Amino acid sequence: MLRFLPDPLLVASEPKKGRAPKAPELPIPERKNWLIHLHYIRKDYETCKDIIKEQLQETRGMCEYAIYVQALILRLEGQIQQSLELFQSCAILNPANPDNLKQVARSLFLLGKHKAAIEVYHEAGKLNDEDWEVHHNLGVCYSVIKDYKNVCVVSQAEEQLNAALQLNKQDRTFLTLGKVHLLSRDTDKAVDVYKAAVEFSPENTELLTTLGLLYLQLGKYQKAFEHLGNALTFDPSNYKAILAAGSMMQTHGDFDVAMNKYRVAACVVPESPPLWNNIGMCFFSKKKYVAAISCLKRAHYLSPFDWKVLYNLGLVHLTMQQYASAFHFLSAATNLQPRLGELYMLLAVALTNLEDLDNARRSYEQAVALDHSNPLVNLNFAILLYNHGDKKGALQQYQEIERKVNMLKDSNTEFDSELMDMAQKMATALQVGESLVWTKPAKDTKFKQGSAGVPIKTLGSSQQPLGTNQALEQAMSSAAGYNRSITPRVSLSQPKRSSVPLAESSGLENPPAVPGDASGTPRPEESDTPDTLPPLAAKPKVKSKSRQELN
Amino acid sequence: MQLHFAVASTIFQNVFSLYKSMLNEIKININGKWLDAHYDPVANLYTFSSCIVLADLHGDGENKLVVGDLGTGSSNMKLKVYRGTGLMSENTLLDLPTGLVSFLMDQHEPRTPAIAVASGPYIYVYKNLRPYFKFTLPPLEVNALEQDVWNQAREDMIDPLSLKEMLDSIRDKADVPLSVRSLRFLMLDPQDMEAFVNLYKEQPIRRQTVITCISTLKKNMADEDAVSCLVIGTESKDVYILDPEAFTVLTKMSLPSAPTQMDVTGQFDVEFRITVACRNGNIYVLRRESPKPKYCIELSSHPVGLVRIGKNVVVGCAQETLQGFTQKGKKLWTVCLPAPVTTMSVMDLPTRGFQAVLVGLANSEVHLYRDKNLISTIKTPDIVTSICFGRYGREDGTLIMTTKGGGLIVKILKRTAVFDDRDSAPGPPLAQSIRLNVPKKTKLYVDQTMRERENSVAMHRAFQMDLSRLRLAAARAYVKALESSLTPMSSSLSEPLRMNAVVQGLGPSFKLTLNIQNTAVCRPVMNLAISFLYDESLYSMKTAFFKIPLLVPGLNYPIDTFVECLSDKGISDIIKVFVLREGKSAPLLTAHINMPVSEGLALN
Repeated sequence: MLRFLPDPLLVASEPKKGRAPKAPELPIPERKNWLIHLHYIRKDYETCKDIIKEQLQETRGMCEYAIYVQALILRLEGQIQQSLELFQSCAILNPANPDNLKQVARSLFLLGKHKAAIEVYHEAGKLNDEDWEVHHNLGVCYSVIKDYKNVCVVSQAEEQLNAALQLNKQDRTFLTLGKVHLLSRDTDKAVDVYKAAVEFSPENTELLTTLGLLYLQLGKYQKAFEHLGNALTFDPSNYKAILAAGSMMQTHGDFDVAMNKYRVAACVVPESPPLWNNIGMCFFSKKKYVAAISCLKRAHYLSPFDWKVLYNLGLVHLTMQQYASAFHFLSAATNLQPRLGELYMLLAVALTNLEDLDNARRSYEQAVALDHSNPLVNLNFAILLYNHGDKKGALQQYQEIERKVNMLKDSNTEFDSELMDMAQKMATALQVGESLVWTKPAKDTKFKQGSAGVPIKTLGSSQQPLGTNQALEQAMSSAAGYNRSITPRVSLSQPKRSSVPLAESSGLENPPAVPGDASGTPRPEESDTPDTLPPLAAKPKVKSKSRQELN
Repeated sequence: MQLHFAVASTIFQNVFSLYKSMLNEIKININGKWLDAHYDPVANLYTFSSCIVLADLHGDGENKLVVGDLGTGSSNMKLKVYRGTGLMSENTLLDLPTGLVSFLMDQHEPRTPAIAVASGPYIYVYKNLRPYFKFTLPPLEVNALEQDVWNQAREDMIDPLSLKEMLDSIRDKADVPLSVRSLRFLMLDPQDMEAFVNLYKEQPIRRQTVITCISTLKKNMADEDAVSCLVIGTESKDVYILDPEAFTVLTKMSLPSAPTQMDVTGQFDVEFRITVACRNGNIYVLRRESPKPKYCIELSSHPVGLVRIGKNVVVGCAQETLQGFTQKGKKLWTVCLPAPVTTMSVMDLPTRGFQAVLVGLANSEVHLYRDKNLISTIKTPDIVTSICFGRYGREDGTLIMTTKGGGLIVKILKRTAVFDDRDSAPGPPLAQSIRLNVPKKTKLYVDQTMRERENSVAMHRAFQMDLSRLRLAAARAYVKALESSLTPMSSSLSEPLRMNAVVQGLGPSFKLTLNIQNTAVCRPVMNLAISFLYDESLYSMKTAFFKIPLLVPGLNYPIDTFVECLSDKGISDIIKVFVLREGKSAPLLTAHINMPVSEGLALN
């Protein structure tokens, strides 16, 4: 049988016709590179390391690729410093290979030496300028230098990322560029970037969610919902999208659908404080107060320093007439967030019910001093003052209410009828005469009585009443479409609910684009529900008192 | 009669249970689309998809399985041929096989294909499983300067040391890298250089590269049994197309990075397209008449598998995704996978017009995708490292897999198997119907709520009162502590001291270590003493009072003393430690040491 003889050069040297002894063939250093690569990409790192070791012994450390992969594995295992040293030795073995420099820079970047990384990336860029990765990483480096006031650095980051995008479109680059724009507070540009990104890869849920949250922040609820809905169709368990879409539904009164969504999120991220907060407020809106307290307490347990959860807990306990508990939650919340007028107002309501009038009055004063747009604060204060005989003070507060209402009327905000009634009663009690302030809006708009969400706080004139927006209705129902089997009455009857102006919560103060930042998701529930309750609690007193006075 | 009946009933039972087990079997079979033809968990195969081929080696209409086995990874490499469930033949390979293809090299009858095994810089061609031809890759260009230097060395014009210097300078500047010989020479110790030069100086300098992947390309006809050229990718970033008969290089094309795997379609004489996945994570498309890549797909992670279905390219990425691209590199779709990809292969059933992608995953599953839709999942006993689908023996739809542990699995697709192409758009996730875990509140809670509703004012007042009292008590305790220097840090400015105490031992004798530190910036502290106060009926100490040496700032002074517990009743007490200054009655520091209970008895 024929056989392939080993290569003559591989066979040990033997003298041949008197010539010098034949030298043994030297093994080619790259001969196992393919095998190393094959194991590396399959994530079979143990075998890979064995082969590398063998190969490095055979070539006495000359095999560039083996060292390169060894360094990559070390870096994956968290030994960044060692990997950096190995990449540097690769760069010495073959200084013409831009990959080596790129990896050196990457390791430097991971070690937090951003400036050094930038220098090395520039070096790599000199070897190959057409590499999007170099530009992308330079952009990332510039963006993490954390010097957003420095226009130069920001523009450099943008420049590099745009260059990367021109060479090759990658989702990563879009995301980073959008983030850079957001951090330099240029929301419009960020929206443009994310729009282009979504166009390029329409199935990337992260991009869709980020864009949706941005729209939400800008008050474009319809578009926001569209994108969040899209994100949910591609990934029904996307935590961020669920939370954002759920809170929108909640604002809109669609508590059952919101709960359905939250159930999915609760499986994926069972220990998320904002999620349990929102679930709690869903229960609250459905008047299941005990369940609401359970959920809110869980949220509080998971995140004890979140004043929003404490605010809601205080609110629910006020509703339950557990004023002593409410006081504790609210005072804890004021300690964590001392700049919110409404918080002091709630505290004052609790204190009023606890018959601690001096402190209640002090708390109202604080609330009035901090709040600039919510007439409810002044109204409640006026009621307190009036009930305790301080007509002058009450009158002063009443004028303040009128001022605020007039201010808000310009911005097309609609008011709760209960607030209207109360204010009118106040006016008659104070004998300020028939105020024209109240009558007009009351005729113009239809009000919904008694439901939980009657927000007054607004953020700007750009807001439109959500409930009347037909298109959003459609968006909502289509996104909720596949839920039909479970909740067949995905409230398509919503238009009747009408005129619930969106009060966006302070959750929007955080840029929602920061990935993984749960607190970035809006929780509108918090700001819209609270406002109804204080008047409810305070109203009976006013009625009885005012009658007594008049008689 | 009675007896008869009993017997009849047992028989009936037996028959019934048999029938039931048959039913079970049928049920299993109905569920599966594959028949398990063969499973050998100890076949001892270490191989990849590139080294497995099904070919009709003997022209008898029966396909054999040819496997290039990497052996241990360094030795014992074999070319193995399986027929049915048994190993038919074994040929020893000289080096690790990189890839293995079967191809028809000539028009001779019978039309039996040859096997080409790529390993190192060579291609070994076997015909009828006998060695037939060995092809060596054309050597690479050698650096002219290096050549000159070695020529001089051969004529003994320069000594090894200056040779080293010259090679070093060439290495740093040259465009063409040095040969292995020079590189090895540069690594040598000075005393070995002489021998090395003498050994190698007569040899011509060669630069050799290695093959990284191999494939075939039909020469001029698209028929099943047409003559094919070999297409090889090399470490030197080149792609060669070889003539099947003369083994000459027909075309050479170059790539920006070393190729790892490729997919070839078309005919060499007409038009062809080579899709190459490269080590830099990009995929390039080469075409006839263009020495450079025509299109480029830049991926965000390394491609693990590359398969062409019709006109689309499907790539399995290391980032646990499967992506579809058009031939020109436009992204069509992305699917997330549950585990990293280990290997990929195409499943082609031309008789049924069925094409799909088999993806081996690291969670011991093989997924079958048609476009972006998952149409079937096969569970395997081990992680699959290579997949090959095709005609084996006389069975058209055979799936051959090897596992990480060296096993060999052969499955046959049932003729009744239907892959329904359902849309993978998911319905509402399961989690949506799971009830929220909201804890129920107890009756006690409700009662307390009611109580609070009724007595909230009283509760609040009581609380406020207690809070004020607590604050007062805390403030008093604090003042007292400050007054009696009970804090672990002395507050006086002239002697800023820190002390902590450690008790060691089980009893009855304990070792008490006091660590005293002067926390001043530069002033030493002098004239200090330590005194202990304890219940003398419980404890005894050799010295209950001693002086402390001068304390240098910053240093920690451990001071040891021994305490004997006198009681055997298992009670313990507090020992108070005072740090005193000479001439002052108030202590600077006080520490209360809670002594542990003595667990041993004193030997008298």
